[in-house]
Amino acid sequence: MDSSWLPTLLALAWLTPLASFVFILFFGKHAGPHGRFAGTVATGAIVFSCVLSFVAMFGAWLPNNELPEAHHGDHAAGGDHDEHAEDGEHADEADHETFIRPAASPFLLASSGGDRGTISLVADTAEGEGDSAEHHIAPNGKPPAVYGVFYNLVTFGKLKLDISYYIDALTVTMFCVVTLIASCVHFYAIGYMHDELHEPYTDHEVTLTDGTHLVRKGRFYRFFQYLSLFCFSMLGIVIAGNLAMAFVFWELVGICSYFLIGFYIERHSASTAANKAFIVNRVGDFGMLIGMMALWSSLGTFAFGDTQNDQGEVTEPGMFSVLRTEENHYALAPTESMEVEGARVVGEGEEGESSHAGQWLLLIAGVGVFCGCVGKSAQFPLHVWLPDAMEGPTPVSALVHSATMVAAGVYLTGRVYPIFTPEALLVIAVIGCITLFVAATIAITALDIKRVLAYSTVSQLGYMMLALGIGGWSAGIFHLITHACFKGLLFMCSGSVIHAVHTNDMSYMGGLRKKMPITAYTMLVGCLAIIGAGIPTSMYGLSGYYSKDAIIEQAWSFAGANRGNPLLSILLIAPVIGAAITAFYMFRLWYMTFAGEPRDHHRYDHAHESPRVMTMPLVVLAVCAIAIGWSVPGTNLSITSLLEQAQPVGTTPGAEGVLAENLVVPAEQLSHVKAVKIPAGWAAFSAAAFGVLLATIIYLWRMLNPAEIRDSFKPLYAFLWNKWYFDELYDLIFVKPTHWISGLIAKFDRGIIDGIIHGTAATAKAAASIVSNVGDRTLVDGTVNAFANRTWDFGLMLRRLQTGSLRTYVLAIAMGTWITYMLVSFIMVARGTG
Amino acid sequence: MGDGIYWPTFFFLLFSALACGFALAVVFSRNVVRMAFYLVMSLASTAGLFFLAGEDFVGAMQLMIYVGGTLVLLIFGVMLTSQKQFVEMKTPAGQWIVGLVTGCALVALLWMAAFETPQWQPISRAEAEAVAVQPTATPIGVALTNGRVDQLDQPDETLRGGMSSYLLPFEIVSVHLLVVLIGAAYLARAKRRSPSAAAPG
Amino acid sequence: MHHFMLANLLTEPVGVAHYMAVGAVLFVCGVLCMALKRNALGVLMGIELVLNGANLNFIAFGSRFLRGEGQGLGLDGPLMALFVIVLAAAEAAVALAIVLNFYNNYDSVDIDRADQLQG
Repeated sequence: MDSSWLPTLLALAWLTPLASFVFILFFGKHAGPHGRFAGTVATGAIVFSCVLSFVAMFGAWLPNNELPEAHHGDHAAGGDHDEHAEDGEHADEADHETFIRPAASPFLLASSGGDRGTISLVADTAEGEGDSAEHHIAPNGKPPAVYGVFYNLVTFGKLKLDISYYIDALTVTMFCVVTLIASCVHFYAIGYMHDELHEPYTDHEVTLTDGTHLVRKGRFYRFFQYLSLFCFSMLGIVIAGNLAMAFVFWELVGICSYFLIGFYIERHSASTAANKAFIVNRVGDFGMLIGMMALWSSLGTFAFGDTQNDQGEVTEPGMFSVLRTEENHYALAPTESMEVEGARVVGEGEEGESSHAGQWLLLIAGVGVFCGCVGKSAQFPLHVWLPDAMEGPTPVSALVHSATMVAAGVYLTGRVYPIFTPEALLVIAVIGCITLFVAATIAITALDIKRVLAYSTVSQLGYMMLALGIGGWSAGIFHLITHACFKGLLFMCSGSVIHAVHTNDMSYMGGLRKKMPITAYTMLVGCLAIIGAGIPTSMYGLSGYYSKDAIIEQAWSFAGANRGNPLLSILLIAPVIGAAITAFYMFRLWYMTFAGEPRDHHRYDHAHESPRVMTMPLVVLAVCAIAIGWSVPGTNLSITSLLEQAQPVGTTPGAEGVLAENLVVPAEQLSHVKAVKIPAGWAAFSAAAFGVLLATIIYLWRMLNPAEIRDSFKPLYAFLWNKWYFDELYDLIFVKPTHWISGLIAKFDRGIIDGIIHGTAATAKAAASIVSNVGDRTLVDGTVNAFANRTWDFGLMLRRLQTGSLRTYVLAIAMGTWITYMLVSFIMVARGTG
Repeated sequence: MGDGIYWPTFFFLLFSALACGFALAVVFSRNVVRMAFYLVMSLASTAGLFFLAGEDFVGAMQLMIYVGGTLVLLIFGVMLTSQKQFVEMKTPAGQWIVGLVTGCALVALLWMAAFETPQWQPISRAEAEAVAVQPTATPIGVALTNGRVDQLDQPDETLRGGMSSYLLPFEIVSVHLLVVLIGAAYLARAKRRSPSAAAPG
Repeated sequence: MHHFMLANLLTEPVGVAHYMAVGAVLFVCGVLCMALKRNALGVLMGIELVLNGANLNFIAFGSRFLRGEGQGLGLDGPLMALFVIVLAAAEAAVALAIVLNFYNNYDSVDIDRADQLQG
């Protein structure tokens, strides 16, 4: 098949779930007893899509597009190790000669000493070439892609709204991943939603006013109807050829998640969670609309690809081609029209100085589009909806958290990657970094098995965004794909557990390993994959090992390239600490659920392994979670090489900030240098090992009592248990003021006249009392008293530091040493003497 | 490029694993008698590391003074105070967590510092094999009286002579030891017990 | 950073850095003993470990085998180590005397009971 088949195949794969949706919508209720066949239809549709996607990948894409040599050579576990290793050597030598900005640990002590100059790459190069800004990685051209229009919806003047397609290696890969995982989820859902086939269905979670449980009709068919629509929308985003179309399907994904999260609509928590997800996403979409406006008003197009006529000439260039022209060596440069439009916002520059108006506009556009992704992918300010979204049935959680909804945000960020300026990338990285750390800490205290997983999803999404933001495009997208596999697996395992013990609370579980071995061990695989288990610095490991290490390597490289700005090394420290925390809470989850003694014997006795239709998808996904990072033996076909093929135009050489002058986004190739790869690999490994060890000490060997630890860190525990008080904060900032203002307006309406009359009297009275209170009692007495009180309080506070306990002092000394060292090295680096 | 196993490295790995392992055992053991035993083993393995670094005299002193003397003292202390309730005492779990996290941070920091300093990297095998074995006791003895055999090429006259020798510190330490001896005897001597304290066994 | 590679770990000599790594472990173990043991004798053992960690560094700095002929501290390393050993012995004697005294007065070796300096 030649590549002209691609649009047909993928469009078919995309539309099949829609057909299934339409069928179930009209006939689902009557398809078999209680709509039983709706499940079969939907599953059949998505499996058909999956087959078509793989046909498109292996039949139409790979034969026509030669894969590049994988730069993650060391990671490929294929049959040609030696060859790869040699290639790696070559690359390293080249690195020695050509690459400047060697990546190094931000805490490097003595790079100036170098009397044995052979020690490290760092010592060699840091002095020689210093800060010179040029480097020799040629910017890549446009990745191979197929762009075209299915149907022109409407044309308003210049604005054309098309149903179009843009198919490159990323699109095809995402099609395969999404449909594969969705197929597993569909199969699994047939088993999991079995209860809904009973007529009538009793919802034990809902208690009516008369004390009985709600009894309603089963909604088996409707569940699959929504699932089909969900898959259709997600595939629509993936295949979309322009931003407007992506936005339409973006919203469709939003509404589907609303339906599915609120599937048990009678439960109060479920309907609130659905509302929350929908509303929070609207906040992000508002930003996205602004970004789209900024792009359209200055570029006049939303298309990702170029429209060509029959002779192959470009008639209408797409967004990326306009922003990264071939004449400009594919570097990002705002167009004339952007400068003009931008100047209306930021104003003209001073005499002889550019105002960087175009850059500012690009920044606004980039950050705006990213806002949408923040909402969809549950990043830091808008992450609150995702953990609540587990109110939906578990298969939905598995789908939402792995391959669809949240993946859409990361996917879109990766898709429009060429429009991000380095400053916009920094915003992305910082948001990702905050997200990954905040969410990871919250997951430590959560007791609800799905809540732990939900926060771990948020945290992993933070990793992806961080990777994208620091220039690791393929690292971030790679993690998206591996994460889709193991998080889908983890959620389905948790669903299997919940199905068996009828509770989400881990404190009622324990010892389930013996009762449900398949679930337990597939989940262990998932846990190992998510913490990135592998042999450090080698090429053997589970899928998460490759992607997470790639992210940490890129972070290491980024911190090395920005040594002038030590604050940015937080972007390295946070993911490493996050890796330790991830390992801790994942193994805490596994030990609490499957290891040790059963805590609730009643539930334990009734637990049983799930039916075959639920465990088979687990096994399939477990195999994926292990092997998806590997390359096919004997070839260089792997996810990484596919991603390198899809590398967005002009992004290989990294970038340097224009508005923020010292910012450097290092090229991703630089993170494969040995001097980065080895220490970063060890850092990631030892962090994860520490987390696992701590979890083992506390929850498996029970050498330390968790309850005791909880008591010692009570304030911290409360802080994490309440999720950093984000919900309360938003309630305070947004919800309460709204209530307050509306109340105020009501009062104003009613009381305005009274207010004026009373006010006049009260003013006179107040004026008199001010003189007596403020002048004498408050001002004079108050100052003196306040001073005395503060001194007293301060003394009391200091007194508590003096514990008199020898052991506390020793700990304080050790910690103090560490902190002092860190501060000094930060300051030294900041002043350029480190 | 190496040809076969370099045995000093093998023994370094062996002894360092023993030293670190027993040191960790001291930390994680709850029983104070066992702790004392693990400490003996750890210190003895450290003496092995001293031998490997070519300092056989210090290694011998480590074994004699530390393992033979100091630890006997400690074990006496353990025996004198070993009432049942003190043999195993529990530390709150929260402190364990704080301690472990601090400890790991400190180790990470020290390792990073050690391995990133270029002057402290290994020398090549040929260089290491070229180093001649020399007696160590005599030079140390001479340095303690008043001369430095390792500083004979020192261009600076004052450094070659008395400045860099250890006669004065040696004397100070001698007097110090005497004072300590008297002080310890004074502190630990049997006193009339205060009436409030219960009589131990 | 070839010293991390496992392949040449057995065929090449180790360096000062490796000794310092071991010293760091001993040191931190000692600190942890001091911070986490409630038995006063455990704290004393921690001090011995800390001193040993430091000693290992002195020896490594002085050793010709680790830094090559004519490099390093020379005799200063082992001499410092000797002083540390001797002073550790003295310290142990005094500390033990203090512990015994504490035991006589409080009938306990729990270091947490020695908190009279609490503010």
